[in-house]
Amino acid sequence: MTALYALEGIRKSRGPVFSLAIPALELMEGGIHALSGANGSGKSTLLSLLAFLDRPTEGRLRFAGETVSWNTRSLARLRRQVTLLHQSPWLFRGSVFENVAWGLALRGVNGGTRRTRVFEALEAVGLSGFEKRDAQSLSGGEAQRTAMARAIALEPRVLLLDEPYSGVDRAAVETAESLIASMPARGTTVLLTTHDTAQLARPGGNIIRLAEGKVVSAKGAPSCAVV
Amino acid sequence: MDFLTDSVRAALVLILALDPDIASAALTSLQVAACSILLAAIPAIPVGLAVGLLDFPGRRAAVLALNSLMAVPTVLVGLLVYMVISRRGPLGGLDLLFTPSAIVLGGILLAGPIVATLVMNAAEGADRRIIPTAMTLGAGPLRAGLKFAAEIRLGIVAALVAGFGRVLSEVGVAMMLGGNIRGYTRTMTTAIALETGKGEFGTGVGLGLILMTIALLVNILFNLVLQRSRP
Repeated sequence: MTALYALEGIRKSRGPVFSLAIPALELMEGGIHALSGANGSGKSTLLSLLAFLDRPTEGRLRFAGETVSWNTRSLARLRRQVTLLHQSPWLFRGSVFENVAWGLALRGVNGGTRRTRVFEALEAVGLSGFEKRDAQSLSGGEAQRTAMARAIALEPRVLLLDEPYSGVDRAAVETAESLIASMPARGTTVLLTTHDTAQLARPGGNIIRLAEGKVVSAKGAPSCAVV
Repeated sequence: MDFLTDSVRAALVLILALDPDIASAALTSLQVAACSILLAAIPAIPVGLAVGLLDFPGRRAAVLALNSLMAVPTVLVGLLVYMVISRRGPLGGLDLLFTPSAIVLGGILLAGPIVATLVMNAAEGADRRIIPTAMTLGAGPLRAGLKFAAEIRLGIVAALVAGFGRVLSEVGVAMMLGGNIRGYTRTMTTAIALETGKGEFGTGVGLGLILMTIALLVNILFNLVLQRSRP
């Protein structure tokens, strides 16, 4: 079985220091994978690589068997399969509806279907009725949920979540957890980061631990393995 | 005191009577300033965005060049363009000298660095998450750049207003390249210089009032746009 992601000799440097050094790591398709580690352990850097937003200084990254060539055309195609939800997401100027619909419009999803998917996504995150609200006037938690709706509306093959439970209240955490738990059934592989060990057990599945830019353990094979 | 009040009174009479010379100068000023800023914006906005967003070899030199170009005296711009478009210059065959097009050419060179620098500053000050967010939602570099520009549109509009004001209020380029030809290349600023030199302060003050009114209206318009864009 081909790994969804295969990292080989990946190193990412920030200036003279390597912030990420992963000799080999495979991530299989399906399920929910958790990436844990302290602040500065390289979680966000790894997510940026996996979202094809940043390229490694060294090494090879394969996605679904295809070696990522990092040229503009292939990156645009790959990015449409993977969506990263940042820890502190940016909402564009405009309404909540416009924000959630933006990625769908880029993909050429027609008006009626777009509208349906926006409404479904907002309902899934508990923001029904927020369509006309100005995105810049939302609270931190509402903004986080809007960004989540914007991501899931795209029905990506991979959803990368950077600290998805930060800044949201307990009730919203439960909504987010059940939503994340439902993603694999919709064909979306989820990889989320957290430094909260209590959160690791809840979504269930595989856990990759990072420390100082290195993978120190990966549990839950065969869907995730340090090779 | 009488001198001042007499000048203002004479100015108001000329404005209310829709003096054709004043109307022509005002219209020419608006036309060359509008054309200059529109044409300057085409290269200046992308350049400002690129310098503000991208890290490339020579970026610091580009920033320095843009900042320096903002301070170039208008007469120097006028002189350089004059040398290029005069009969003996490389573009002499185009017969541009002493036409509104020549003033527009100078206006582009004046406004371009201002627009590019202010857009660059707006891009540098913008949130770093905009581009990655657009890209992870599926945008290519061009669409992400356009989305970024839309997010900082107020900064871009402010840059355009500043560039428009610079061209509208300058006198060196209009005088040297336009030649201050009545009813053709005479702008408000060159007319003010001419009328003041002749001792016709009423006309000069009248044109000055119109110039200030236009500047005020442009700023009011900008503030309305600003208020509408804020949540």
